Amino acid sequence: MSDFVEIEDELKKLQPVQPSDGLLDRVENAIDSLAPARSPGWASRLRRSAPAGSVVDLAEDEKVIRPDRFRINLLSVGIGLAAAASLLIFARLQFDNPSPRQPQIAANSPAPVARSTSPISEFLPAGATQVVYHTRDEGLLYSAESGEPMRRVRSRLQESLQWRNAATGASLRVSYPSEQVELIPVSGQ
Amino acid sequence: MQDREEVMENVTTHEEWKTIFSTLAPGLVLYARQWVRSHTDAEDIVQDAFVKFWRRHHKIDNRPLLYATVRSVALDLIRRDSRRARREVEAFAGAPQSIEPQFRAEDESQRSLAFALDRLPHEQREVVVMKVWNELTFAEIGEAIGISQNTAASRYRYALAALKKNLQPQ
Repeated sequence: MSDFVEIEDELKKLQPVQPSDGLLDRVENAIDSLAPARSPGWASRLRRSAPAGSVVDLAEDEKVIRPDRFRINLLSVGIGLAAAASLLIFARLQFDNPSPRQPQIAANSPAPVARSTSPISEFLPAGATQVVYHTRDEGLLYSAESGEPMRRVRSRLQESLQWRNAATGASLRVSYPSEQVELIPVSGQ
Repeated sequence: MQDREEVMENVTTHEEWKTIFSTLAPGLVLYARQWVRSHTDAEDIVQDAFVKFWRRHHKIDNRPLLYATVRSVALDLIRRDSRRARREVEAFAGAPQSIEPQFRAEDESQRSLAFALDRLPHEQREVVVMKVWNELTFAEIGEAIGISQNTAASRYRYALAALKKNLQPQ
């Protein structure tokens, strides 16, 4: 950038055309006439509440905050505060006068203690699974009784049974291997 | 420069806003001239933008937002007026970028410099105007026009190189 010091100095010597006095007057008049819209207290609060560095498309007139919109905002804030106060009052009333049905509901609810019996009886079947992990077709068989051919299929399985104690949350699981042979009639059709 | 920054840091009253505006107005009008051909149009843009900026309770030291507002108002003005837009497009395509002078040139060398500045690509000229006559940093320029700080610096360097080349004796 040091190569451009000379040209920068030349540029700085160039003086822009000064704005007209009319422009300064117009802006001053605008600030004076619109000043009531900018109540200092509200201004600072609104400025603090605005996101820092937020760039708004100010070119759209609709997005300019006008004095009447401040009145609308104040009205909205007032309505909101009134609604909040009403809610607080109703909440307080409900807190001071609890519903008489509450004890009945509590009394009608089943007492868990009454269900307790011996621990063993608490275990109830919770599920059963059967996983076939191997299947083998052993071919055709001819039964002497029926005379029809049958296909013998041998399967190896892992079966599991599960019980669960609802009161304690304990569970019992039994798993064992098994083997199953099926004779499936073969249709000649 | 120092006085200007000191004043801008503590603006609270309407009178101070007016004082600040009188300080910034020449640079703002020159900046607005990048989009319109007449000084009057540029003043209208600056007035509209500055009042909007003030009414929205922005802090005056948020200079990127102020220049972004001027830019936005200028572009919106062009968009709204199709005849003006056509005229601006034609003018941008032509060699000279402005009709009314933007600077008070005192001698031939300054007139040549102003003319060379006018012939710069728009995006380079915009950065030069913001940097030289409005004293914005590259970071502020980048924030105002939506480019990176490095891009703003690059455009500035390219512009100065082009100006230097144009002004060298053949």
